[in-house]
Amino acid sequence: MSRNVRVAGSLHEEGENIGLHRFALFTACSTAFLIFVGGLVTSNQAGLAVPDWPTTYGWNMFTFPYSKWVGGIFYEHGHRLVASFVGFLTIILASWTWLKETRRWVRMLSLVALVSVITQGILGGLTVKYLLPTSISMTHACLAQTFFCMTIAMAYFTSPTSKHGSASIRDTHTGLALPTLCLMTTGAVYLQLLLGAWMRHTQSGLAIPDFPLAFGKLIPEFTDYHVGIHFAHRMGAILVTGMIAWTFVRMYSRHQHDRLLFRPALILVILVFAQLSFGAFAIWTEKSPIITTVHVATGALILGTSFLLTLRAYSLVVREARWQ
Amino acid sequence: MRKVLLTLSLLSLLMYAACGGNKDPFDIPAGAGGGGPSTPLTATVKGKIAFDGPPPTPKKQPTTSDPNCKNPDLVVEDVVVSEGGLENVILYVSGGDLAGKSFAPPTEKKTLDQKGCHYVPHALTLQVGQTLRILNSDETLHNVHAWAEVNTPFNESQATKGVETEKVFTKEEIMFPVRCDVHNWMNMYIGVFNHPLHTVSGKGGAFEIKLPAGTYEVTAMHEKLGKQTAMVTVADNGSADLNFTFKPK
Repeated sequence: MSRNVRVAGSLHEEGENIGLHRFALFTACSTAFLIFVGGLVTSNQAGLAVPDWPTTYGWNMFTFPYSKWVGGIFYEHGHRLVASFVGFLTIILASWTWLKETRRWVRMLSLVALVSVITQGILGGLTVKYLLPTSISMTHACLAQTFFCMTIAMAYFTSPTSKHGSASIRDTHTGLALPTLCLMTTGAVYLQLLLGAWMRHTQSGLAIPDFPLAFGKLIPEFTDYHVGIHFAHRMGAILVTGMIAWTFVRMYSRHQHDRLLFRPALILVILVFAQLSFGAFAIWTEKSPIITTVHVATGALILGTSFLLTLRAYSLVVREARWQ
Repeated sequence: MRKVLLTLSLLSLLMYAACGGNKDPFDIPAGAGGGGPSTPLTATVKGKIAFDGPPPTPKKQPTTSDPNCKNPDLVVEDVVVSEGGLENVILYVSGGDLAGKSFAPPTEKKTLDQKGCHYVPHALTLQVGQTLRILNSDETLHNVHAWAEVNTPFNESQATKGVETEKVFTKEEIMFPVRCDVHNWMNMYIGVFNHPLHTVSGKGGAFEIKLPAGTYEVTAMHEKLGKQTAMVTVADNGSADLNFTFKPK
């Protein structure tokens, strides 16, 4: 297969909204950083270091003195400020999109992203007010990943590739359609992130204290639900690794020269091996805050990369039958 | 349609959260302490919590994440042994001749201080309805986070030196932790009882409980080393000895 993406439109047309695309890209990168900072809060058990919300120890959060950013406050207050920044970026992104974008569904997507980031802020406040209830904390963690995907979608759909590239990569494989395979991989990664959030917010991260075995066995005795959640996350890791391997093999064998597909698939393989190592080290170091946080952030990067690959597969790949 | 669904979901979430949090955590039930006149505490049980093993080497607790803590000599307090005895063990009457006895909550307040980014004391006991005074003696911010399960948990900020908060617990709850999320090494334990027959072991593991004459089951409970029980009988105006021995884990 050869790379065969037709990019129509003049440079002038591309230049019209390239600013919007770059801004959406910046919002997506800021969101990835926000997930890392949010991970630091939980890893350092600082989720309740600031007991009030939306104020910080009675101060307006934007005027809280830096000299008081001590201990756990540094992580929690820092997270609130980075989150406010991302919220601000999302407001600009939605406004810009409504002013410049002609496709109605892209405008709607920017609005959904804005509603999501506001909801996310309220969930963050509720989790503080109600002392980290698992249901709200988990929803907060999962919506963060979903919102990250929305910002990636915004960056992709405002890109010249998406706006002007036609469906032009041929997929001659007769089995599972490539876009479906990519979607299944993304679904598996998302499921694994749900399990990870569940494990994290039920303090089950060290419920099985050894690795690669579990209490010295391949399958542990399920003495309580924490062990079950932890073991499900390990099984999820196997599923995700398998799905990514399957996706990569497919790309390697049939789309090695389709840069837009092969590159993210290769990045996924690198990320998943790094992620397995971080997972192992999270246990061996008894949940070192930095290792655990990098594990959370890498999970988000895997989801983002797999989601981008899925978007590209759906918009660029055409099954052979349609070409004939 | 999508917007409507999103709005409805958000409202449901807010309602769910609101419904779970409208209880007044410090509403004392009528009749706490047994109602009638208090039974006099005319007898004494005293003794020692021995520690059967080499005393653990004190482990330094770094406080560098907050330069305002000013406590370079702070040590971890999960197992404190002095003069061969175990400190910070909560002791309480857990059974025996309690029927028909009533105890009004004491008017005397107990104090929990935050000093050098460290809780003083490390363990304390209260009677249901008794006031706990929480004080910040540090030139830094603390949050006081009570991880109660029977009583309503709370998380309160104490942003400046000299700030005081008062709390009253309404239900018996034997040992729950209080932590500071700003300084994640800070923790202590509280026991809340329906009666005044409780104490915490001090220097050398020594303790003394004032109680009415009778036969009682006494429980000794440590945050890390578990719990033990023993029976004791004490006469009116009399005194009885009771000792426990804890082994290192």
